[in-house]
Amino acid sequence: MRNNKLKSIYLSLLAAFIFMLFPWSGLALALRPDFMLLVIIFWLLRAPNQCSVGTAWFMGLWIDLATGGIFGQYALAYTITTFIAVIYQRRLVLFSSTQQLVYVFSLLLVSQLIILILKTFAGSEFTGWVYFMPSLTGVLLWQLAVTLGLNTGRHSRGN
Amino acid sequence: MLPGIHQNFDQQQAPAFFARGPSPLARLTFFTALSLALMATDSRLQYLTSIRATLMNLLHPLQVIANAPSELFESTDEYFTTHHQLLKENTQLKQQVLMQNISLQKLNLLALENANLRSLLQAQQALAETSILAEILHVGRDSFTKKIIVNRGKNHHVVTGAAAVDATGVVGQVTRTYPSSSEITLVTDKSLAIPIQVERNGLRAIAFGRGRDNTLDLPYLPANVDIRRGDKLVTSGIDGVYPSGLTVATVTEIKTTPESPFAHIVCVPTGGIEHSRQVLIVNLPQTEEPDITADEAAADVSKKAAAAAPAKDAAVSASTKPAPAQPAAAQAKPGQPEKAQPPAAEKSPNKPLTTDQSQHRAQQ
Repeated sequence: MRNNKLKSIYLSLLAAFIFMLFPWSGLALALRPDFMLLVIIFWLLRAPNQCSVGTAWFMGLWIDLATGGIFGQYALAYTITTFIAVIYQRRLVLFSSTQQLVYVFSLLLVSQLIILILKTFAGSEFTGWVYFMPSLTGVLLWQLAVTLGLNTGRHSRGN
Repeated sequence: MLPGIHQNFDQQQAPAFFARGPSPLARLTFFTALSLALMATDSRLQYLTSIRATLMNLLHPLQVIANAPSELFESTDEYFTTHHQLLKENTQLKQQVLMQNISLQKLNLLALENANLRSLLQAQQALAETSILAEILHVGRDSFTKKIIVNRGKNHHVVTGAAAVDATGVVGQVTRTYPSSSEITLVTDKSLAIPIQVERNGLRAIAFGRGRDNTLDLPYLPANVDIRRGDKLVTSGIDGVYPSGLTVATVTEIKTTPESPFAHIVCVPTGGIEHSRQVLIVNLPQTEEPDITADEAAADVSKKAAAAAPAKDAAVSASTKPAPAQPAAAQAKPGQPEKAQPPAAEKSPNKPLTTDQSQHRAQQ
């Protein structure tokens, strides 16, 4: 059971990574949700013992590698985001589905904000409010997954 | 009674369900420190370059898998191209070949004439650049930087600092090389600058990427500068990176404000990764000892003049020509990261090749 879960965690993380590697460009790139962070948040809620801050950090490193940026940027963003996610993980039982959506949205925003701050330190300029679009599309994707029947941990613990 | 309940409650927190190893805060502190250390090391020191190259090699198969769907789509799309379209394209291409053949014939003549003139002047023979055709693997996944990854790398003799061009103009410069892929920073990236020349009047300037809107800036030019809208900017070639005469951009906007002594000039690059999937990486053959200073070179020339053959002497003096121009270019772009100017150490592998080529040319 535990082994099975670990396997599915790794497989889904790999799938998310390949999704991130797709040759996105133009509008698709601007709208592309952060698949990796969504999968990490999902497993944080479902299996906090197997997937934690360390996993997020490690996957962040791979994203750093893929984006060609300075090592540690996404790793740091994912680390802080997952920390916040873990703190509220036990309270999630009481959240309604709307609350959970807001919670995921704010997590995605936090990670984007951290990246923005780090990039600004590195000398990049803010590219406009379109920059935050991936958070919006990310939360839409989350809602879609929930509608399609993905168990995000709310009900399983709720009863 | 009450303390007893408390004790009981405390004990209930212990079971395995709540056991999570180190506390989240401890993990946060540890991994944040690790990330910060990594960032500092990667941005200031060079230790991680080889690690990055190794990891990129591991990543390559995943990259190929991720690219497969879009390639499949493209190939099926090509398969269903209509007969009519193909015929039309064919006639167009035939016309193009005809036109280019004519100019090629002229070019052969000119090349011969140029070689003759150069030998008359005892100048160094112009060297043919080696170029590598590469295909874009993916466009940067980051909205902040303008970078692309192409499918040719160290294994295909791509060197850091080489120029990347396409059919319509300069695309960018190779800034990182991995075994089987390399990273090209586009001309529109904030950290890239290109020495250019206005084609109409030969005015020299440096174009900087703006980092957004896919445009270039021409800063530090006086308000009364002779640049008009629609002017074509070509590479000047004084940087020793780009071959001279390649189209870079066209001027689209010139603004002068009374409070600024400088003109605000915006250009749009002619080359672009939007148009084609292929780029040509041009390894400019390095002239002998490119980073020699003018004084040293003069001393060198006089020393060698006594012993060496006159032809070699001329080669040395010609090679020093770009040297004085390089510091000027470096001064004009403050805060420019080192990567725009290729490090001298990485040029050295080119040397034997260039001398071979020059000898080969001289024999001809």
